[in-house]
Parts: sequence; C-alpha cells; structure tokens
Amino acid sequence: MSWAVPPAPGIQPVPYYSQQMNTAYTPVTIRSGFGQAYQPSQQYSYSAPANPPQPSSTMSPPDQQQQQKFDWPQSVRNYVQRTFQASNEIHGVGREEKEARLKEIIRSEQERGTMFSTNWDEMPLPQQLIQKERHQALLAAVGPTHAQAKSPSFAAVSKKRKSSDLSESEQTNNSTVPWRSTKALSIEDRISKPANDKRVLMDGPLTGKSKFQKNVEKRQRRGDGGYQSSYRSPSPSPPSGPIVGLNENLEKRYLRLTAAPKPEDVRPEYILHQTLDLLKRKWRKENNYNYICDQFKSLRQDLTVQHVRNEFTVSVYEIHARIALEKGDLGEYNQCQTQLRALYRAGIKGNPIEFKAYRILYFIHTANRTALNDAIADLTTAEKEETPVKHALNVRSALALGNYHKFFQLYLDVPNMGAYLMDMFIKRERLAALANMCKAFKPELKLRYVTEELAFESDAEAAQFIIDYNQELLEERDDYIAFLTGKAGQIFENARAQAFSRVDLKGQI
Amino acid sequence: MNMATYCDLNPDLLSLEVSMKGRSFSACQPRRQFEVASSAVPVSAMDSLIRQFRAAYAGTNGEQLAETLSPDTEVHAARLQAIWGRGDARSMTSDLNFLFHQDQARHSIRLSKEETSGWIAIYTAYWKAIGEILAAEGLRNDTQSSWAKVYIAWKEVTLLTVRGYTNHDFENWTIPCLYVTGKYLRLFAMRADAERGLSSDDMAVDDLKDDFDPQAEEHKSLEDCARHLNRIFQVCASDRAPLEESRKWGVYYAVNLLFKTYFKLNSEPLSKNILKAISAGRADIPPIDKFPKSQQVTFKYYEGVLAFLEENYVEASTLPGYQDAQRNLELILTYLIPCRLLTTHTLPSSRLLEPFPRLQKLFIPLSRAIRKSDLKAFDIALRDGEDEFIKRRVYLTLERGRDIVLRNLLRKVFIAGGFEEPKEGAAPVRRTRIPLTEFTAAVQLSSGEAIDPDEVECLMANMIYKNLMKGYIAHERGIVVLSKSGAFPGTKV
Repeated sequence: MSWAVPPAPGIQPVPYYSQQMNTAYTPVTIRSGFGQAYQPSQQYSYSAPANPPQPSSTMSPPDQQQQQKFDWPQSVRNYVQRTFQASNEIHGVGREEKEARLKEIIRSEQERGTMFSTNWDEMPLPQQLIQKERHQALLAAVGPTHAQAKSPSFAAVSKKRKSSDLSESEQTNNSTVPWRSTKALSIEDRISKPANDKRVLMDGPLTGKSKFQKNVEKRQRRGDGGYQSSYRSPSPSPPSGPIVGLNENLEKRYLRLTAAPKPEDVRPEYILHQTLDLLKRKWRKENNYNYICDQFKSLRQDLTVQHVRNEFTVSVYEIHARIALEKGDLGEYNQCQTQLRALYRAGIKGNPIEFKAYRILYFIHTANRTALNDAIADLTTAEKEETPVKHALNVRSALALGNYHKFFQLYLDVPNMGAYLMDMFIKRERLAALANMCKAFKPELKLRYVTEELAFESDAEAAQFIIDYNQELLEERDDYIAFLTGKAGQIFENARAQAFSRVDLKGQI
Repeated sequence: MNMATYCDLNPDLLSLEVSMKGRSFSACQPRRQFEVASSAVPVSAMDSLIRQFRAAYAGTNGEQLAETLSPDTEVHAARLQAIWGRGDARSMTSDLNFLFHQDQARHSIRLSKEETSGWIAIYTAYWKAIGEILAAEGLRNDTQSSWAKVYIAWKEVTLLTVRGYTNHDFENWTIPCLYVTGKYLRLFAMRADAERGLSSDDMAVDDLKDDFDPQAEEHKSLEDCARHLNRIFQVCASDRAPLEESRKWGVYYAVNLLFKTYFKLNSEPLSKNILKAISAGRADIPPIDKFPKSQQVTFKYYEGVLAFLEENYVEASTLPGYQDAQRNLELILTYLIPCRLLTTHTLPSSRLLEPFPRLQKLFIPLSRAIRKSDLKAFDIALRDGEDEFIKRRVYLTLERGRDIVLRNLLRKVFIAGGFEEPKEGAAPVRRTRIPLTEFTAAVQLSSGEAIDPDEVECLMANMIYKNLMKGYIAHERGIVVLSKSGAFPGTKV
C-alpha cells in the first residue's frame, strides 16, 4: 500500500507550504507523494462558486466514476431498503414504477458523482416522488409553471446560474429536491397526504425547512383547522436526525454553537465542497492563517452538525491539519488529528500513513507516553514498514535510547511535513544532546563536530546556539573553534531540564 | 485497540473480592434460607426477598443485604424471574407496601419512616431493572430490551441507593449495597457501550460540538457511569460520622471501581485526581491495612501501575507482593519485572517465572540477551514480543533494557583489555585507556550490523551520562578513558 494520496480531493497544484519560510530548520523534502493529490480534482462537480446546486450530468461526467465498480454506501442501501418497506407503501404506486424510478435516481446520483455526498436519509422515496409528480401533472393542467415560479429557494439560486444550465435544471428541480419547494409540499400536504405517511413528514422535509417555510405552513395549518397539529407541535421539536443546511454562502465566520443550529445557517455538503476549493485558493494566495483557520472551523462545524462523515470530511481535516502544522498551531492540529484517527478507524479513506506518522511525532513532542503507546498499538505490521511511519518510530526509539546521533540524522530526512513537528522539539533535544556531550567528552570538542552531530546548518548557527547559554564555552584556535565541554558544568543539563518541563500541551486531550 | 489493551490490563480482581466476601458471610447460607422459605410457604418472590432483607437487617449483615440487590442472571436467574413475576407493577407496589408497612410490625426490625421509604424506592427500581435485564438476556417471552435500557434502569437503582445515604439515614453497615450497585453499573455500562459499538449507525452526536467526539461516542455509558461511581466515592469519603459508623469504610471499594473505569476510559489524569483526593483526606480515612486484603491489593496494583506509566519506577516497585491468585501475581510481575530491570538491573530468576508460562515467553528471551550482552538477540526478542509488550504497556520501558545489554558488552571489552604493566608492589590496575575502535568492533559484532563510529561514540556518551559507566571520551585522540575504580558501577568492575 502506498501512502500517496488516493484519488481523494487533494490540495491544488501548487503546494501552499512550498513558500520559502524563514525557519530555523534545514530544508526538507516534503510531499513527494502528496503531489499526486494536486491534480485538479475532477471529482467535485462544484468547482466554481457560481455552479448550480444540481449541475447537469453533461457538465461533470467523471468517466472513471462510472467505470469503477461501485462500493455502495450504506446510506444508499438503507434508502433502497426503505423504498420497499411495507410501511412506506403508497397506494396506487406499483412496484415496477417504484423500481424504475429508484434505478433512475441512483443512476443520476452516480453519474453526478454525488453518491457519497448526497444525504440519502433525507431523500424522498421513489413512491413519494411519483406521487408528487402526479399531483404536479394535475396542477399543470391548471397552470403549467406555477409550482416552479413560486419556489423561493430556487429563485435565489437561479440568479447565480448561468443561462446554459437553465434548461436542464428545471427537470432536476422537481425530481430530486421537491422538499425545497414550499408550494409543492404544501399542496401535497393539503390535498392528499396519506395518513400513514407521517414518518416521512417528521424525519424528512420538516427538518430542512427554513423559518419562512415554517411560517407559511403554520399559517396554512391554521386555515386547515389544525389538521396536522396532531403530530406537529407548534414549536418544532428537536430534529430526530441530522439537520440539512440551506445556507449557500461559501464563507462563514466561525461561531461557537450555543443552541441547536438552524438550517439556514448551515451550508449543505455540496456548498462545503466549493468552500474547500475557495479556501485552498485563498490560502495559496493570501496565506492569512487567522482567516483560514476560522473558515475551516466553521466548515468542520457544518459537517459535524449534518453528520457528514465521508472522504470529503477526511480531506477537510487533513488539509486543516497540514495548514495548522505549517503554522505551528498545535491545538488545531491536534483536534484534526483526533478526528482523523476516528475517521480512519471507521474505514474512511484518506492518508492514514502520513497522519499516523505525524501522530507519533506529535506525542513525542508532548512527551505523552500513554498516547504514544496507543499510537503504536494502532499500527498494523504493514503500516510499521511504511516509510513515514518507520521514520517516526525510529525517531521515537532513537530518543528513547538517547541516541542523538541517529536522531539528528533522522531529522535531516523527514517524509511529508513531519519536519514541522520535529522542529517543535529539536531545540530541546539539542539541549539534551549537549548536556550529554558535556558530561562525556573531555576536555573539549571541535565546534564542527557539534555542528555535524546536532544537525546545525552551519558552525555559526551552532556557535550561536551555545553562546545563547554561555559565551565562554567557545574558544578560537588556529584552524578551528573549540567547544569547551569540560567547562560547561550543569549549564546544558539545567537548560534541558527546563525545556522538558515546559512541553506546550495546548489542545491536548 | 485501546479497549482491548485495557480489557486485558484490567485484572479481574473483583473475583478476589467476591471470594473474600464469601469467607465472611458464607455465600450459600442465606440463599438456602431463601429457598426453604419459598418452598415451605407459597409466598410471593417479593415476600422472600423482603424476608432476606429483614434477616440481613436483624443481623446487620451488609453482604447479605447487598445480596438482595444482586442482578446476576447467571446465579439467580430463577429467583430474578420469580421476582419479576408477570411484570405487574401494581401488585409489586402493593406487595412492597404491605411488606414494609403492615407486615413489618410483626417482625423485630425497626426501620425509620425515612429508611422505609428509601428502601421501597430502591426495590421498586430494582424490580423494574430486573424486567429490563431479563428482557435483555432474552429470558422474557413478552419483550426484548437493550443493554442501554438496562443501564438506565440500573442507574436509577444506583441513584436511589446513593440517595438512601444522603436522604434516608441508611447506616454504614449497609454500604455493601453501594458496592453491588456500583459494580453492576459499570458492567452494564460496558455492555451498553459494546452494544452501541455494534450498531454504529446510531450516532448520537452532540450538535453543539464543532467536531465529532469519537472517544465520548465509544464510551458514552461508561463515562456517565464514572460520574456516578465518583458520586459513590464522594458519599463514602465525605461522611463525617465517627469512624465506627462512617461510610469511609467504603472508600477503597469505590476507588477501585473508579480506577477500573478510568483505566478503561484511558484517563490516567482522573485516576491521579483520585489518588490526590485520597492522600489529601488520608488523616480521616482509616489506614489501608485495616481494609479487606482484596481491596488493598487492587488499590496497590493500580497505584503501582499508575506510577509505572509515569515512569516513576522506584515507586512502582512497591507493587503489592500479595501472593494469592496466580493471575494477580502474573499481572503484578508484568510490571514489576521491567521496574526491577531499570531500577536495580536485576533479572527474574527462572524459579520465579516457573509457574507463569506467559511471562516466561515474554521475558526469558530478553533476559538471556541481557545476560549474554547480545544486542542482536535483544533487538530480536524485543521485536518478537513487541505486540504483546505494547498491549501490556511495558514496551517503552523494556526497550531501555538495551542500555543494560550495551553496558554489559562494554564491560566485557574493558575486562578483555586486561591489566596495565604491573608496577612494583602495587595492586594490578586494569587498562583504562581504551581505543574507541575496540568498542566499535564489539558493538558491530554484537549487533550484527555495521555501525558508524560516531554513533558508537554517542552510545558511549550515553553510558557515561546515565552513570552506567564512569570515565570520559577524548574525542580527538579516539580513546575512552575509564575510571580506575569502579568503571562500571554496581558490577564489581
């Protein structure tokens, strides 16, 4: 197995961390494998913000998707199951009709490549769609475009839409997202809601309605003489399933939730795909971490409240983790890492090898032995042989045995972005190594030896490091600089003890 | 993986406690009494239960009393089914009311009004919980249940029992009732968590959180359980009554339950908080050697393992040496052997390991490699046992045994160097200036791989730094100068 990125959504072609940064560490080769992820991702039909929510199938027919043998998501299986459940039977809709429609729905989702991102739990059942269409056909006899023209949420979208998309979308509007259309729903409710269909009302469309829609319905109910009130409390009961977002803004400030989120504040997954693309572009262009972090947090929040846990979720956490790593924001990094561990364990694809290696390095940094033990316990034998993991494990064992020689050699060649993590504890390990050297080597060492053993970039850097602690430990000789180990006494030992006592644990769970 | 780790790590010391209890009150006796009662007169099962309750009360026998609250379907299946009866809540309530209010006068036990209402509430909740348990075990024909429901029902029993002490004047001899409720609360919580783990679709996410909380999801019931066990601990520890009437005698049982729970939850910090709370109140709590041996052993075991995980090996070496159950001893040795290896550089004798085939498999290859100062054999032994060592959480400790192998190896080099030209009349002196190349050769030979001389120097520096070897390295001259007296401390060389 390679740790290189599978066809999951990666970051865009130019890695954002390739910018020259003024860091103290030796440049490392980063991301040789990650590069594969940067091919402009074709999976996401929603690459531009102006795209319609339901792009036409001609726009994005990712061929490989169709050819791939499909591993059906559990949600789809459940959906199919529900379709044929006796309790969901609708009088007058035959089995063949239902089957044909079911196939059509699944095929269209597959073609669009939204099989995994569609919220199947909220998707109306084929029989409901058929029923609805019949009503609309009935209605069409009176006023053909009536239902669509009054659809509020679609009116908003269509402004952004390109004219070329319009013809196609009319049809999809009705067939896949009827619950967005207040008019259609209310008509259905009033005319022919079968009594045994309460469940659908409760679980499905209701939870996704905007305040406006609810008000409309409330008004209608009053007119109906409380016809629906037997199963709808006036204040909407807490949704039984995850909410479905209706917010179509790409950007959103992060706010800590203090009450259950409202659908109109939450962005649905297809919008979040666009958001991620936007954030990646912005990060490359502006490199404004405060903005990016804030946006990623709101993105994560929207995914969480909608219970979206798929490969897209993984890619969001992976990208945020990498950005946080680069910026040394360990708190955020650790949050992402914790999520990623759970997501990988749930069997969702991503870059587990890369992140399992980071995890080991991270716990080396925080000196968390218990967690380190767990992190190792998480590894399979095969994973232990993968380069990044093997590297991290070697770093760990070198440190455990005080083998600074090996440790600094490993520091010079770190896979992926591990160097950012190693930078966090390199100073402390240099102090430890110096404390060690000062006790063992007498009476002195050449500075060059220290430079090489402790992987300083230059003698000057090594000299500065030592001088920062004591100016009298270096001595100019004819052809070299001597490091007077015999005179160092407890200087580095004390500095080491202090450095280890102060492991920054922010964000630590 | 975590869960597995902790399952194995958690010793079943509980069984020990059960056997201790058996000794003190003869487990079968009250049950026989119960059976006789039920066969002699055709009375309701609730009646026999309350008879047992009265007998326990009359004799102030806490264990016997606790027995009346046992939900163990393996031992008491028939009894529990009899108590549940037809599941008729009304007749159960009237039974209890009759038994506690009217019928009581005929018996010699005196219960205050508060106590009576406390017990009625507990038995009512107990009865309901039994219904859920029987259903979850598939012992009821009319319905099924889940462990999550059992947990909730049993939590009610636990809460009411705790309330018995805070609100209903329960006396301290009854605290075994707290033990039995707490013990089963933990077991039911784990079953509820396991059950939820199987049906992973059911994701009850806290919508106010920004991220999923996988840990909380995995152990949702157990975390809840920990809070209630902590409550039991507080109720015991905070009792200000004179010692002979105090619930403080329940402290260590509660603490041990908490340790088990926290270890499973992977939360050492919480365990440490408990230790702190205990040592803070140590003046008030009776000395630990006054508690039942089983509680002492369990407590000391966890205390020792906590110290071990903190790398506090000296403290961890006080792991209990109580030799009762073979399995407990094995668990204790699992930690004690690595401790001794690092603190005193001692290895287990083959006689010590003889009764423990598992420990032999784990430690003998390592011990042998250390004795023979064979780096390669040590590396192989460590790698072979890696999975098991990690599971037992001793890997990171044992790994450092490599230092001892290396020390032994360098010592051999030193001894092989022989003595300096003897001076007239003086005692022979070992050769103390040894070329680094000799050590490099030894390390290469022993580890079976080529090694960079700089790395050997680094390893030597470590030996000196860790006080395993006395001397210094003269880097420019390429020699190691060892101390004339005691170059390898503690090894007579």
